[in-house]
Amino acid sequence: MKKNFVKNFPAVLLMVLSVLAISLRAEASGLFGPLQTVSREQGGLNTAIGYLYHEDTYKNGESYKIKQNEIYSQAAYGAKNIWEVYARIGVSNMKIAGIFASSDHFVETSQDDFEADWKFFGTLGAKAFYPINEMFGVGAFLQGTYYFSDFSDHVAITSGGVPVRTEMKFENLRDAVFGVGLQAKLPCGTNLYAGPYLYYSEADLSLFSGLYGTEYAEKHYTVKNKSLAGGFAGAEIPLIKGFRLNLEGQFADRFSAGAAISYTY
Amino acid sequence: MKSYFSIVFLIVVLLTAGFAHGQESASTTTPRDVSVSQQVAPSPETGVDPTAIDQSQASPHDTVETINEEYKEDEILEEYVAGNLKEEKVEIADPLEPVNRVVHGFNDKLYFWALKPVAQGYKTVLPEPARLSVKNFFSNLAFPARFLSCLLQADFSGAAMETGRFAINTLWGIGGLLDPSSGKELNLQKQDTDLGQTLGVWGVGQGFYIVWPFFGPSSARDTATLVGDYFLYPVSYINPWYDWLAVRTYEEVNATSLRIGDYEALKDAAIDPYVAFRDAYAQYRYKKIKARKAKGSSSAPVTRQEQPAAPVPEREN
Repeated sequence: MKKNFVKNFPAVLLMVLSVLAISLRAEASGLFGPLQTVSREQGGLNTAIGYLYHEDTYKNGESYKIKQNEIYSQAAYGAKNIWEVYARIGVSNMKIAGIFASSDHFVETSQDDFEADWKFFGTLGAKAFYPINEMFGVGAFLQGTYYFSDFSDHVAITSGGVPVRTEMKFENLRDAVFGVGLQAKLPCGTNLYAGPYLYYSEADLSLFSGLYGTEYAEKHYTVKNKSLAGGFAGAEIPLIKGFRLNLEGQFADRFSAGAAISYTY
Repeated sequence: MKSYFSIVFLIVVLLTAGFAHGQESASTTTPRDVSVSQQVAPSPETGVDPTAIDQSQASPHDTVETINEEYKEDEILEEYVAGNLKEEKVEIADPLEPVNRVVHGFNDKLYFWALKPVAQGYKTVLPEPARLSVKNFFSNLAFPARFLSCLLQADFSGAAMETGRFAINTLWGIGGLLDPSSGKELNLQKQDTDLGQTLGVWGVGQGFYIVWPFFGPSSARDTATLVGDYFLYPVSYINPWYDWLAVRTYEEVNATSLRIGDYEALKDAAIDPYVAFRDAYAQYRYKKIKARKAKGSSSAPVTRQEQPAAPVPEREN
């Protein structure tokens, strides 16, 4: 099985990259992780669970701050200490601050923030690593995420004394991330890594009825992330019995941070 | 019409699902384990006695010394057999034999006519690693029964091990599809126990033999725990009922696909398959309970010896 997997790796990688390139389905859903795979050199699985508190700014004329709590499970296959492909499945909630706030004094809304419960997302990614020497190496990764379900919330609007109840949907959230970085291996086995990344995220925002008096009076919009570039830094610390702790921070307009615990088979 | 056929198909497959391979934690035996038992203790039907075989091989034309030496070897073997093989022999009362034989035949037909063909097709489609992952997933779901059984047997280390396994396999085993806990580094092995064994550890005798349609061999004691095992298995709570049926059917088809041939091997080797399965079941369960008793002997409150566990003389053919 492993031989077949290694043999078919170029095809698998091409497929992964194609999916990412075509659909731009990537996002900062989950940590980027260390640039070098933690799988065994001869090839093997590693799995992880992780959490990321993610903040970002989306814009469509006006900017809005979004907050997400993401919990995910990851399965990865890597080999030779230089490459890895991974897949994640997780859930995330979402809060968009102030999106329902009205600028018209004659319009009142029941709430200012958009809040939605946990929705599923999936991530595919690949990374490659080139060791410079025993301590340092450089690597790159590409990952994409797509949210299978739509985030939605209801708001009651009173305009000119007429109450209207409408639903806002944050649909088809997807993003893609490409990053490069430098990784250093400390004598204790801890890996430190950091680097820049490019990030593109997009979602469709829709209203079932016009939210008159607000910036979002029309029914369909596309929102994008405000900052296209950011930076990340993290540490990967060996624990016991094959477990490793990964701590990471990301900054692209706003700061995100998370942790993951991986297990190497 | 389409849904009608779907339901009928699911029912037929389910009927076959539990045959001789019921839920792992339930009171059934697996062909693989049975065959091991059979090797240790020859089936009474066959009347094969290792000592007899050895004696028959002695030539009457050999010298007296040679004969004496051979008899010495036979004596040693007899002691060995008496001490190691005969004590494993367990019998179970079978007052329902006529009915059991009918049900056994019914289950046998269901296996060969429905379950096995479906499992073979499934095996062709899905590679073994994937089927093992499915097996791991359902085994992980059966954690509550194993955990509670360990607690009831005062096997607290086993309960802790089961808890650790469940947490690790669920979180890092992709919901239980993988089994990192069994690896060399973690070495958290699955506690092979169930509520029927718990009753056995606490001294409840196995009672009489009974063959359930779809679920296969059981005993009065193990039958009493079927309800408990049912409620401790999360799959049992799937609604509506046909979803539950589909999941259980799939679980059984997957499990069967991983052991096709074992049942046939034991059946073909037996003169009377019904008796072979009955005795193998009794021995299998006895050994399981004996192992659990041995593990928990320091802490488990065993009140008395299990009645059927006592060695019994070989049955005359």
